[in-house]
Amino acid sequence: MFEWFFKYPRVVYQQGELVFAGDLRLAWWLAAALLLALSVVFARRLAAWPWHRRVAIHALQFAALAVLLTILAGPALQVLRLAPGVNTVAVLVDTSRSMALPDARGRTTRLERAKGLVAEGVGGQPKTVLYQFDDQLRPAEMATLEPTGDRSRLVHALSHLAANYDHGALAAIVLLTDGAQTPGDVDGLDVLTAAGVPVHAVGLGAPTIVGDAELAEVSVPRRPPPGTEVTARVTIRHAWSDAGEVRLRVRDGESVLAANVVALAPQTPVVVADVSFPSGAAGLKEVTFELLTPEGDPLPSNDSRTRLLEVVEAEHRVLYLEGEPRWEYKFIRRAVEEDPAIKLVTWLRTTPRKTYRQGVSDADELVDGFPASLEALYAYGLVILGSLPASTFDDEQHALLESFVAERGGSVLVLAGREAMAEGGWDVKPLSRALPVVLERAPVGAPPGYTAGEYTAHPTPAGLSSPLADIGGSSELDREERWATLPMLGDYQRLGPLKAGATTLLEGQGSVRVVPGAEPTVIVRGGAAVPLLVAQPYGFGQAVVLATASTWRWRMRTAPGDDRHGLFWRHLIRHLAGAAPATRRLSVEPGFDALDLKVSLKDARFKPIADASVTARITAPTGENFNTVLPPAAGGGAFGATVATSIAGVYRVDVTARAGGEGGAGTTFSRLARVGGEDVEAFSAAMNTPLLSRIAAATGGRLWTADDVAGLEQAIAFGGSGIRERERMPLWDAPILYIVLVLLKCIEWSLRRFWGGI
Amino acid sequence: MRSPVTRSVVAALAVVVAGALATAEEFLPAHDLTEFVPTRIEYDSVGGAGEAFYGYDGRVWERWETDFPQAEQNFAKRLNQLTNVVASRQPARRKLTAPNLGDSPLIYMSDVGYMALSGPEMRALRQYLYNGGFLWVDDFWGDAEWASFERAMAGVLPGRRWRVLPIEHAIFHTVFDIDEMPQIPARDFAHRADTAEPPWVHRFPAGSLDVASIRAYADDDGRLMAIATHNTDIADGWERESYGEWYFERFSTQSYRVGINVIVYALTH
Repeated sequence: MFEWFFKYPRVVYQQGELVFAGDLRLAWWLAAALLLALSVVFARRLAAWPWHRRVAIHALQFAALAVLLTILAGPALQVLRLAPGVNTVAVLVDTSRSMALPDARGRTTRLERAKGLVAEGVGGQPKTVLYQFDDQLRPAEMATLEPTGDRSRLVHALSHLAANYDHGALAAIVLLTDGAQTPGDVDGLDVLTAAGVPVHAVGLGAPTIVGDAELAEVSVPRRPPPGTEVTARVTIRHAWSDAGEVRLRVRDGESVLAANVVALAPQTPVVVADVSFPSGAAGLKEVTFELLTPEGDPLPSNDSRTRLLEVVEAEHRVLYLEGEPRWEYKFIRRAVEEDPAIKLVTWLRTTPRKTYRQGVSDADELVDGFPASLEALYAYGLVILGSLPASTFDDEQHALLESFVAERGGSVLVLAGREAMAEGGWDVKPLSRALPVVLERAPVGAPPGYTAGEYTAHPTPAGLSSPLADIGGSSELDREERWATLPMLGDYQRLGPLKAGATTLLEGQGSVRVVPGAEPTVIVRGGAAVPLLVAQPYGFGQAVVLATASTWRWRMRTAPGDDRHGLFWRHLIRHLAGAAPATRRLSVEPGFDALDLKVSLKDARFKPIADASVTARITAPTGENFNTVLPPAAGGGAFGATVATSIAGVYRVDVTARAGGEGGAGTTFSRLARVGGEDVEAFSAAMNTPLLSRIAAATGGRLWTADDVAGLEQAIAFGGSGIRERERMPLWDAPILYIVLVLLKCIEWSLRRFWGGI
Repeated sequence: MRSPVTRSVVAALAVVVAGALATAEEFLPAHDLTEFVPTRIEYDSVGGAGEAFYGYDGRVWERWETDFPQAEQNFAKRLNQLTNVVASRQPARRKLTAPNLGDSPLIYMSDVGYMALSGPEMRALRQYLYNGGFLWVDDFWGDAEWASFERAMAGVLPGRRWRVLPIEHAIFHTVFDIDEMPQIPARDFAHRADTAEPPWVHRFPAGSLDVASIRAYADDDGRLMAIATHNTDIADGWERESYGEWYFERFSTQSYRVGINVIVYALTH
């Protein structure tokens, strides 16, 4: 329609510049003369009319005159268009396995639809080259296009083609794909954009696969301790038109470890659910998570995922310093005792002159109330500070606590109490810099910062998904319900303003409840939430503040089998302590055909060890092994390499590190990693409109549908990046000009008839 | 004589007030939860005069209220003086079936030789102990009173056996190192030669009254749930601390040592 009115397609107008080819001077003189003559005539004939009628008629006449003069001036669009015969358009066809799925109409496969478009000459340019891609980019023949690729590296293929095509001028790339690229393949979009070749993506397939339920993601701790409950968070993406339920099962081989029922509703296409299962004995486990979908699931191959679990004895060392024997201390200890992965060492000041230590390894540990050296302090991953005045420690020990978080990367958890936070004098100590809230002392005469009173704890949206505020629950709704039904807390420590990097995970909410007989103290005003659990990163570590010391009520005022109190503390402590880095770390990130090895070496004072020799021994699934030296990488104490793998399966990596001048066997640490083994093409198999739009927008191209590629030829001709030539495209005969002219005169004539002046 | 209408109105008001009190009891905390609050348990006892209740000091005492509240008030004062425990000087009293019993993770029962627990009380105490609560029973002497208590506990913790805690147990060493379980007699029976109370003031057959001990019930993980200071009256040492220098130095100091150790043990295990 646009082209019928305006003679040329929209893309020509978008790219072109308006110029006039006629002799404007003559035209303007003629116009002036004509205008003068008409003015004289009409002024006399219309003199009897009211002024607004005269203005309307004159305006229409002037507009018609302007259109006429425009035509006479010889308007044209000056454009750059591809030079005929010298440019090439690359047509890139996705041949990964997801292209064997039905296209949007469901009548044929996506690849057959793509082949049909190629046969119809999509792009419309005389010089066209055909490529295919899945894992790799390569030239293609129509007859050999088959959907057999194990993965689609879409961005990689595009950037490689755009940057390296050397068979002539590449004007544009026409991409025929569903956009379902392999996860992780996002690098290279910058290269593609810099190449300046527009990509016109033709999307194949439907944005959703109706009736499909997919196990989109499974997040599970990779190295849980034996004999514990492991909680996996699964993400289910579905396109069910009716509400229903799907069964989620966890298997170790043929043995079912756990099963849950998850409700799916059309209005929530993405559902996150938690499932807990026993870690069992130490060893390597390949755990399968699967959705038992009803009959008729259009894509059953995306219903299961496997995860590798290394069940190993781990120890998170936690130091709890407390200045007041109180119930919170007891019940934290009890909650943690059930977790073999947590080694809790407590130091409690029972009297002004006596202390009580629990969990110490020997008679000397903490005998002075604080770790004897920096190395001894840094051996812990988490320090919990209770109701303990800051004056307990000297300046050097306070500085160590701050560097424990900032430099060692440890975590600090500060609990509420009479002698905690500002009330305990911590506001003027170095650790206050690490805390997520400003510590403010209560003014003289004001109620104390730590007081009794009742209120309920509620998770914030950030808290609902954080392991730091996890009391179990199989879904978000379930988690909210579990929080809502907890007993009220009974004390609160007023917190100062939150710092910029702070995240509130729990809030106190509810009406004020005052302890009978006590002075009324407003703790939580009706309806207003106050921060309860707040966290922030600081240096290499993190600091958390919990503004209560009465979570023990969650244990004492629930049924004996209710483990929410225990789960809260075990999760909080395990994640805070586990977040603290070890001195010697090895990470193995599996790719599709490679292992990315990274090693970080630090000494007991957490100073990088730069002069080390690091060797990795790679053992393939077949049992064959080889050694490789890991060279130093960027960053102090960092070493790494990427090792190519040839077959799918579980690889074992043993790294031996010897510090400079250190003889003997050195230190060896190991990891396992699975390479391949999952049908990645079955996941996220719907047409990925956002990605294709992003690619097209970033390169100056456009996203098309397979049913509407009519404008693609012109879009390439006028928007291509090859060899182009300047061209003037006349507009004097564009129908729109004459239509407007006739329309203006018709309106004028009608008005005259109506007003009786013709 | 009031009219039936008046009686009905009074009865209705009583029901409303009772309901309101029950609601407050259910939802409000028992006390300031930032403090350690000594909590005395009210229970019923069997028998008549000299058994379920007795006369002393010009008034009638039920068994559960022996030494209450002076013992707890003195003990709280000494806790605040000698330790870092922040204790309330206002002791609480609760029935085992009180919905807010859980707000007191340590409860104290005295003079339990004639105690009789109902089914709901047994169930409530069982849930309390399995939740992590700690029961301290004191001031009961001899075999018959122990047998009575043991029968009650068999209904609370079926299948669990008590054991005498050896002097090496942590409870004897949390704050003070106690090398011998002290026997504290009531003030009226404290003599320089003998610390055991006479058998005629206790349930028949009294049997042996000579050896004081801490007997305990533990959970599956070995943590103590309930302890009984048997053949001794620890709380009388608190209550009677001002009844004479000799008694204070001879018995009250021992009572406080045991009491502080037990409280700190309960707060740390």
